[in-house]
Amino acid sequence: MAERTGVIHDLGYRRYDGPRDGTATIARTLYVTGLRHAFGLGRSGKSKILPFLLLGLCTLPAAIVVGVVTLISLDELPIGYASYTTQTQLLVSLFAAAQAPVLFSRDLRHRSIVLYLARPLPAPVFALTRWLSLTSALLVFTLLPQLVLYVGALLAGLDVSDQTTALLKAVALLLLTTTVVAGITGLISSVSLRRGFAIVGSIVALVVVPGVVTAVQAIAQAEGADDVGVAAGLASPWSLHSGLADAWDAGVTVFTPPSGGWVVAYLAVAVLVAAVTTAALVRRLMKVASR
Amino acid sequence: MTEDGEQVIATTGLTKHYGQVHALTDLDIEVGPGVTGLVGANGAGKSTLIKILLGLLEPTSGRASVLGHDIATAGEEIRRVVGYMPEHDCLPPDVSASDFVVHMARMSGLGASAARERSADVLRHVGLDEERYRPMGGFSTGMKQRAKLAQALVHDPRLVFLDEPTNGLDPAARTDMLRLVRRIGADFGIAVLVTSHLLGELEQVSDHVVVLDAGHLLRSSATGDFLEQTGSLLVEVVGGTTERDRFGEALAAAGLPCRPRGTAVVIDPAPQLPVHDLVRDTAADLGLGLMRLQPDRHHLEDVFLQGPASAQQEVARG
Repeated sequence: MAERTGVIHDLGYRRYDGPRDGTATIARTLYVTGLRHAFGLGRSGKSKILPFLLLGLCTLPAAIVVGVVTLISLDELPIGYASYTTQTQLLVSLFAAAQAPVLFSRDLRHRSIVLYLARPLPAPVFALTRWLSLTSALLVFTLLPQLVLYVGALLAGLDVSDQTTALLKAVALLLLTTTVVAGITGLISSVSLRRGFAIVGSIVALVVVPGVVTAVQAIAQAEGADDVGVAAGLASPWSLHSGLADAWDAGVTVFTPPSGGWVVAYLAVAVLVAAVTTAALVRRLMKVASR
Repeated sequence: MTEDGEQVIATTGLTKHYGQVHALTDLDIEVGPGVTGLVGANGAGKSTLIKILLGLLEPTSGRASVLGHDIATAGEEIRRVVGYMPEHDCLPPDVSASDFVVHMARMSGLGASAARERSADVLRHVGLDEERYRPMGGFSTGMKQRAKLAQALVHDPRLVFLDEPTNGLDPAARTDMLRLVRRIGADFGIAVLVTSHLLGELEQVSDHVVVLDAGHLLRSSATGDFLEQTGSLLVEVVGGTTERDRFGEALAAAGLPCRPRGTAVVIDPAPQLPVHDLVRDTAADLGLGLMRLQPDRHHLEDVFLQGPASAQQEVARG
């Protein structure tokens, strides 16, 4: 035949008759991809720098503490597990602010969200899976230094049951706090699609507001108006974390610790914020999808 | 191959209102296998219809089924076997086409190795070669359209929705894309619903054409029916407009109703007269050379010209 056929078409189209994963497996694939992306894995080399730099900075003090405990044989850790998170909350906040847009702004800004939602995964499952990836990334980020501390403490011969109890308390608090932080930063990132705005918004919510709350609590304590300080603690995820840690005797002290009904209020607000922000995230994605 | 006669899409009384805006009104359409063109001006409701069929939008009222699945209850099953290429840009710029299409295959439920294999296959079919390893941010419009098409085909769907696939393409890339659309329907055996606001494009590739106008169904029939003979005769003589006019006047004098169109004369049917003989004799009498004598055919554009006046205004506004 005189007509020339293109090289690229020679093999012809092949159909796919193989197995197809169910929704749960697809969601798991999306979850793992999201978790990897939060640390820059599977993305460009440049995008690995910030998350690993922050992770290094956050874990380094724990390694130093372990070294000190081992060298001079202390009989307790100089810093508690929950207290360690409070001390490094700036780094955790920066990590959340910088990485939430990776999981929430990108799909919306480039509109690839439409391609996801034209596939089997329902929109709410997609939103929840993304949120779970971010929550897990924050858990990994905050738990790694705690594990370093824990392993170091055990190697230094500290009491196993004391250490384990303290660690489990810290983990329980982190489970709550990371869901709140992931909900807040995820929602901010899904609304302000420009990465810069999302980061600034998250920093305001996670760094500026807690700073103001701490100042208010310090003044309230000095002025003897403890209730004002306790109420102010409801306004930021970190003051909720510290307040609950103090009330639970997890090795953290705050200016105005909540007690009695306030503890319930702290817990309720944390759960409510996590639930409301996550629900808002789902709504936001579904709205974008229908446009 | 999709079996002949199988119903791919069917809608009954499908309606979508956004407040005061009526995007779709009481739409009844049926789409079979092969390539179906969905034509309409911008804002005619083409994209809305596709989003409803994908389950991304809920209709205000009415029902629809895709590949035998009801959109109201089986959105997930539909999205499993359907591919979608949106009209707008939807590619993250910092990912390579290859990585992206693999990821999208996995999001459609293909395993890791199947996803890689199918992505390589499909990217080759759409004509992305070495570029597939580059970040898509640097792609030309033509390459982006190919990558968008690849992600719609990677999971081997039974039906693809292609929303304005030729948008923004230069003439050569446009021809390539249309050829690819034709191949998807004919060679790949995947049913295609392709939208365009350019009627001429769909004439070339579709087996069937559905015309939407301001959310209403204007017409739905096989492409051949649109292009059927009008009953008129198209005649052209050697020379310019002077010769054409002399010829036309002589024909009119002989009792044949006729009018000029371009360089040709359109003769309306006159059953009582031997039209062909008159044309031959008139040309011979005037000493003009007959260049063309053929039955006149409809064009897809005529559907709009025949539409209600109000509908035409909508098209003009859209």
